[in-house]
Parts: sequence; structure tokens; C-alpha cells
Amino acid sequence: MLDSLTDSHPYTKYIVGTLIFMLMILIDLQLNIFASRTINLFIRVVYFSIMALGFNMLLGFAGQISLGHAAYMGLGAYLTAYFSNFMGWNFLLILLLSGLIPMVLGIALGLIALRMERLYLAIATLGLGVTGQMIFQEWRAFTRGFSGIRLDRPEIFGFAFNNSRHFLLLATAILLLVIILTYNFSRSRTGRALSAMRDSEYASQSLGVSLFKYKLLAFAASSFYVGIAGSLYAYAERFVHPSTWGVELSLDMLAMVVIGGLASIGGSIVGAAFLVLVPRITAATPLLAEITNMNYILTGLAMILVIKYLPLGIYNTIDVKLIQPYLIGRSSKEFRYQDLEKQEEG
Amino acid sequence: MAEEENSLPILKVDNLTKTFGGLVAVDELSFSVPQGIIYGLIGPNGAGKTTVFNMITRFYKPDSGKVLFQSDQGEVDLLDYRVHEIIDLGVARTFQNIELFNNMTVIENLMAGGHSQLKTNFFQEIFRLPGFKAKEKETRQQALEILDFLGLAGKENQPASSQPYGVQKLLELGRILMAEPEIILLDEPAAGMNDSETNRLAKLLQLIKDEFDITIFLVEHDMSLVMDICQQITAINFGKKICQGSPAEIQASEAVQEAYLGRKEN
Repeated sequence: MLDSLTDSHPYTKYIVGTLIFMLMILIDLQLNIFASRTINLFIRVVYFSIMALGFNMLLGFAGQISLGHAAYMGLGAYLTAYFSNFMGWNFLLILLLSGLIPMVLGIALGLIALRMERLYLAIATLGLGVTGQMIFQEWRAFTRGFSGIRLDRPEIFGFAFNNSRHFLLLATAILLLVIILTYNFSRSRTGRALSAMRDSEYASQSLGVSLFKYKLLAFAASSFYVGIAGSLYAYAERFVHPSTWGVELSLDMLAMVVIGGLASIGGSIVGAAFLVLVPRITAATPLLAEITNMNYILTGLAMILVIKYLPLGIYNTIDVKLIQPYLIGRSSKEFRYQDLEKQEEG
Repeated sequence: MAEEENSLPILKVDNLTKTFGGLVAVDELSFSVPQGIIYGLIGPNGAGKTTVFNMITRFYKPDSGKVLFQSDQGEVDLLDYRVHEIIDLGVARTFQNIELFNNMTVIENLMAGGHSQLKTNFFQEIFRLPGFKAKEKETRQQALEILDFLGLAGKENQPASSQPYGVQKLLELGRILMAEPEIILLDEPAAGMNDSETNRLAKLLQLIKDEFDITIFLVEHDMSLVMDICQQITAINFGKKICQGSPAEIQASEAVQEAYLGRKEN
């Protein structure tokens, strides 16, 4: 909704933003300004962004919930580890398959969503997610259970991405592609059908939106995204362990999307950055670091504060109050403020 | 009167029955809506009007009966179609409690209304393949024209939820016009409107009927509106038809007076 005024500037802000970031990393490649742990932090932001985009497609655009998505991301990671260790396939093929196989299984979630709504859907998908994690623990032939599974950084046409900065550039390029596809998707017949379904199932059906088709599509697409994110996770961390794919990760997805901004591309990225940076900052702060699970407390607190004071999410609020007025000029600035206030009253 | 009876029925409801548990909401109801007129369905609260609408538009499954619709492909029984398929035949509806897409802008609401008309597929959309842009632009242009027609030009980028009640009602109407329907079913279009808004609506509905060549079938409580714009009316009570005819005939009918006001004590 908030993006529709920038039609004359379609996705320039995302492309420019990503390119500036990539340029920064390219310069850093020569100068080595960032510590390597900072680079690793950036990599985490990038793959979590893809994950959050996938979850946002589900929750923000289509209005469906899943608390089992961590298992789909885990599946993507394990598939990548398996294909790369035992099959030795090409990176791009592995990446694609790690998205496509969870996508097919994501349809199962869609079938559940056709029969259940809201809280019940959350509970059912939670159960599926926990089952997934159990399978990762027990199916040793595929996952090596609690020993975890190691793999190497990817290689494209003989070029190995062993340098973290190179890998970060690769991951960012994939993120940019995902952003563009998501943007195109959200501003199209299909994207509008998903949002219509979210806002009113009755009205959307009477206008020709098949709930069967679009619920399955929403779950399939978002499973594809988290599968890709899982694949990048595996390549980035070079180690996959079943403890990663628990409920905590699914709840992190929820927190990212709510804190950053629902139904928003920028919001997904801001939310991902927020959840990656909070544990780092707490760990580096003398007093906070001593409290166990401080990052969970802060995440929860942030969620409450955002819901109470910035219901549009951090990114969307900044977007509406600062970015959009700047892009469009002063003329429409006034009514945008009014709209926002009216909406908050209602 | 005579010419209207001659025109072909576009929608024929035949012996429709619906029960909820032990309650018979609609009881062997039959009537037919001639093409190209404004047709009214009236009745006291709980008479089963919205239930009839919900059966025609496939939200409810009737216990028995037929809903015959004169579509491009000849006469079809709407009951053979699913709820999201009837728009393709040309049947569109609005809702008693406005069902706008509140988190979308005004123009997005209208463009979502064009879902059944806009034929782009998933891959065209995500890769912006040739043909996508032209079709999307065409839909947007159509939406702007309809907004203009409704007197809502300039509101296109505002959130739908921030619009006043009367405008939201109009938007719901505009949204189904995007689907280029043959017949529109309006569930209490004037509910909650003041007199001047109702008058504007009456003119607008006449205009829609004439300019878009759409048959209008409405359920309404506002009797002055119904008597003003409907050419034919069916009155029902307790799910049964009690009277059918022109507004004058309905007003003269004792059965209708009885249903609304009660029986005269002797």
C-alpha cells in the first residue's frame, strides 16, 4: 500500500541501496576496513533478509501464519549440504533445488491453511515445524543428527567463494534478485489477489480469487524463499546442526516481519538487520551481556513497543514520514500525513 | 410495464430452498430478473433476502432448487460453479457490511476488482515479461476512469480504510464494475447513507444500468429508494414470496403491508 506512490520510481531505492552496499564491500575488499566478524554479520543479515522476505510474503501479503517455517529453512540447508558434499553439483543448481523441494512440501502447509485459520493454523504449523526438527535430529543418513554436517563455500565456474567478502557479494546479488522478483510480484495481479485474500476472503472470492490456488501459492512461494535462505545459511556458516531449526527461528521470523514492517520489502530487511544486530550489541555491552537470554528479552520488548507505537513497523514508518515525502515532493506530503493519522485513529 | 415483462430473464431463481437446522430461511422461492432493469428484493428483517443473495453467489449451498443464469455461453445453473468462478460468468456482488480491502489503496482495491479481467500469469508478473506492462496499465486506466465516473478522482492513492462510509460504499460498487459484469447484486447499497447520499446513489445506479448496460438486482431497506428506482420488485417474508410486481402494485398489496406493519385488527 505504502509503495504505490513511488510508481514513477519503481524499485530504484532498493537497487541503489543494494548497489551502494556492494560497492562498499568491493572497496573494503581492497582496504580491509571491516573486521571479518563484521563481514560475517553482514552475511547473516543478507540470508535472514531473504528468509524474512519469504515470511513476509506469507504473513504480510497473504495474511497467513506459519510457525513451522524454520523446518523448511532447515530442509533447504540440509539439502544444500547433502547435494554439495555427496553430489558435487553446481552451486546455482543446488540453490534452486534447495528452494524448489521445500516449495513442494510447502504446499502441505497450504492445504492445512485451507482448513484452519489464525491461531489454529499457527498451532498446526508449529506442530509440523517441531516434527521437522525431530526428523533432522533422527534421520542420520541425511543430516548426521547431532554431529551436524560440514560443507564448503560454493564455487561458480571454478571460482571459489572462500573469501567471506566475495561470498557476501554473491549473497547480496541473490538478495537483490529476490527483492526485484518480490517487488514485481507484489505489484501485480497475483500480489493484489494475495492482499485481497488477506483483507477480505469473502470479497476476494466474489471477485474471482480462488482461495485454494492463492493460499497454496502463498505457502509455496514463501517456502521457496526460506529454502533459498537455508541454502545460503549452509554455505555461509559451513555447518548445519539440528538445533538451529527450532521454534525460536520461526518466532524470529515473526519478530523480524513485525518489527521491520508487514507487507514491506524494506521492512523485511530492517527486521532481519535488527534481529541480527541486537544479540551482537547486547553481547558487547558490559552490563547487558551478563544477563542470560538478554537478546530474547530485548526482541520481545521491541515487538511490544513497535506494535504499540509504530504499528506500521520501523521501516514503513520511516518510509511514510521521510522517504516518500522526499521522493514525491511536497505536494502530496500533506495528505499522506493525514491518511496515516486517520488510519491510526481507525 | 409490458415491455419489461417481454425482456428475457437474465437470472431465474427456481424453487430455491435453504434451511439452517430446523429454520427454513428460504422456502421454495422462485422469481426471475429481466435483463436490463433495476430489480428489487424486499422483505422485513430476517425474511431471507441476504440468504438468497448468498445462494446465488455461491457462498451458501441451497438444499434444493436452481439458479439459472443467461451467460455468454447460454443458460447455465450457477450452482454448478464455485464461488470464485461466477464472476467469470458475469455475476458480481457487494456486501451488506462493506468488505473493502482495507490495507490497500483506493486504486489497488479497484485493480483487485479487475482480477477476473486481467489475464497475466505468474511468470509474466515476476519477470515483467512482454505484455505485462500494457495489460497492467490498461487495468489502471480503467480503474481511474471508474473512479472518475464515481466522482472519486484524486483519491486513488489514499488508503481505502481512511475513506468516509459513503465513499467506501461507492468503492465497493466501483470495484465490481472493474469486473465488467452482466448483473450486479447489491446487498443494501443505501444502508447507513443520509438522504442526499441516497439520492446520489439512485442517480448513479440508473447511470450504471444505462451506461454500462448492467442489470441491477438489489436488496434494500430504504423503501423510498426501492420505489424510486426499481422497475420490478419481489417481496418475501419468512423465505416465501408474498408479492411480485411494479412498485405501485407492491405498495397496494395487502400481503406486503401485513408483513411490514402487521395484520389489521377488526
